[in-house]
Amino acid sequence: MDGDGEGQSRWCLSQVKGAVDDDVAEADIISAVEFNHSGELLATGDRGGRIVIFQQEQESKSLPQCRAEYNVYSTFQSHEPEFDYLKSLEIEEKINKIRWLPQKNAAHFLLSTNDKTIKLWKISERDKRPEGYNLKEEDGRFRHPSSLTTLRVPVFQPMDLMVEASPRRVYANAHTYHINSISVNSDNETYLSADDLRINLWHLDFTDRSFNIVDIKPVNMEELTEVITASEFHPLQCNTFVYGSSKGSVRLCDMRASALCDQHSKLFEEPEDPSTRSFFSEIISSISDVKFSHSGRYMMTRDYLTLKIWDLHMESRPVETYQVHGYLRSKLCSLYENDCIFDKFECCWRSDDSEVMTGSYNNFFRMFNRDAQQDVTLEASWENGSPGCPLKPWRVCTGSRRKRNEIGVDCLDFSRKILYTSWHPQDNVVALATVNNLYIFQEKPN
Amino acid sequence: MLGKGLKRKLEQEEENGVMKMSCPQEASPACYWLQRQTVLNLSLLKLHSRPGHTEPGLARWVLITNTLRRIQDVPAPQFFPSGVETHSEGSLTPVSGLEEDRHLFLCLSPSISRQQPPSSSVIKDSFTSALAEIEDLCPTVGITTLFSTEMGRSLTSDPNSDESRHTDPDLSEMDSSMDSASSLSDSAQSLFGHTPPLLADFSLDDFLLTEIDSLLFDNVPCGSSLSGSSGASKVISMVTDDLVKTLAGYGNGGISQSALPSNQTFKLDLNELDHIMEVLVGS
Repeated sequence: MDGDGEGQSRWCLSQVKGAVDDDVAEADIISAVEFNHSGELLATGDRGGRIVIFQQEQESKSLPQCRAEYNVYSTFQSHEPEFDYLKSLEIEEKINKIRWLPQKNAAHFLLSTNDKTIKLWKISERDKRPEGYNLKEEDGRFRHPSSLTTLRVPVFQPMDLMVEASPRRVYANAHTYHINSISVNSDNETYLSADDLRINLWHLDFTDRSFNIVDIKPVNMEELTEVITASEFHPLQCNTFVYGSSKGSVRLCDMRASALCDQHSKLFEEPEDPSTRSFFSEIISSISDVKFSHSGRYMMTRDYLTLKIWDLHMESRPVETYQVHGYLRSKLCSLYENDCIFDKFECCWRSDDSEVMTGSYNNFFRMFNRDAQQDVTLEASWENGSPGCPLKPWRVCTGSRRKRNEIGVDCLDFSRKILYTSWHPQDNVVALATVNNLYIFQEKPN
Repeated sequence: MLGKGLKRKLEQEEENGVMKMSCPQEASPACYWLQRQTVLNLSLLKLHSRPGHTEPGLARWVLITNTLRRIQDVPAPQFFPSGVETHSEGSLTPVSGLEEDRHLFLCLSPSISRQQPPSSSVIKDSFTSALAEIEDLCPTVGITTLFSTEMGRSLTSDPNSDESRHTDPDLSEMDSSMDSASSLSDSAQSLFGHTPPLLADFSLDDFLLTEIDSLLFDNVPCGSSLSGSSGASKVISMVTDDLVKTLAGYGNGGISQSALPSNQTFKLDLNELDHIMEVLVGS
């Protein structure tokens, strides 16, 4: 599946977006990547608070080999840097998460959030404009009513396509701590936002109120030992959501049980393996991302070294565990020193839930085929191979002998990391971000 | 000083330990001890460092604090890092070895109430702000000086004693960013304002007038100098220079007023400064 005799994978590079020079501005670093529900649009957010939306090439949608051509559709400034005068601190404009709403009409809606404020953006096209006003000239000057001799009905005339992004709602002042997750409910009316200690439930239409549904803040902050790291609504059951914690546990809550879901319905936690216990056991067990499968039967959690698939019916242990980069286990102290151990990697499911994927260091990303129980390591690089050329799998080794497409653990570039990934909801197209570049990969049919 | 031979051995081991962090816990207790110390130092450094203009992350803070607690829960090994148990029946060393570490994290245990009154941690005068500056310049000072017996006694204790308290103004910046109702500031203070008995309840007056030397010697085990002596002396000369320069700049500081003319920077060597400290401390 993941390589034939010549060591090729099924995946090939389709496009690279973003400047490819070495000098990268901090604002250009991508911090969120998300396909919409149809896969036609791909949104990215960056540290400068901007959102860039790419649209799939319309003409090539029917041609299988050109499916993954995306061009810039809209760019807008979602969040601006703010200053909290009370605390004398800046609020970063960095986009933490983007979530699309299911499409209801011609316009597209997405939620974007920084550390403190969530915004609902409407992205709409305008390709016609009314012409033939009675009281207004074409150049905008007003005509006096007394100068009219006839009346006409204004008509829509075609114009160059213009994509407008307008903020429809601003959900502010509901989070004391940094927002790490937003998730739209399957009811398409509500969504949740989670910070380190609290989860709030919003109605999309109302910005002046939200309901607190989880609060893990201790009465005495000195006793704080655990924070919320990720949260998501169940894709089908509108009353169910999960949240992961810094201690490696995931709690599933049912909003029908009580207004405040501090008491979990299920607790998913794997007992610590005593043989791998170290000073960093807790840090590496911290959940960086949690994602339900499309079917709603499973959920996937990402911690620093592994990907775990959980059956929602079994809380005691995951049904599958995949090592993402186990060779880093002996490097944890160095990774603690350079702060890489705190990196929060995302993960995503393939449309049919048969494969999962996540990022790693050195611009590597890992794909795990659940059915075939195979995995592959690929590199996001614009240097190696041209678009359309199948990627060669990589191998990270600890020994000193190197073959082609092998790299030693000590040669890994920890500044090049793939934290943000998204899988097309229908096709086998993946988008991932490394520093300031967006890579789009496509699976070649055999 | 004490255990010179041990120190040399420790230096080598420390180099190895620092270079390759792959020693498994069970393989070598010395290696384990070194890693433990390294993680401890790193954790303190991370908690110490100022986050910048934006609010520091709560998740990161919690993870680092829990790591420190984890270190606390695992007691220090019962012998010297060199692996040689030089003391009969290991009587003195293990206790003091445990004690030294426990002093540092006693404050981390939530069950322990704060001993130090909040007011003492908010002393803002030129001397303390000078020390805060020094801490910024040499964040490793507090860590290395805490464990070393090599360095000039009073010199090490000066930045050390006040540093652990005067991290509070730095932390209070971070604290104020948290929920105003929360006692995160309390917890941060309890981390550092919660000074070990070594430096407990030190006000500026206490610091100037008390015999710091004997306290340091009583509590620090003889062989526990973590840093290699060469590294330590480098740090210390750096500290000396900076301390002196900053003190010189602060004309109103308690020490600089009497000992150092203001608006003048010069290098004192360790002995001279030591002498000055002795004079001030009144020994």
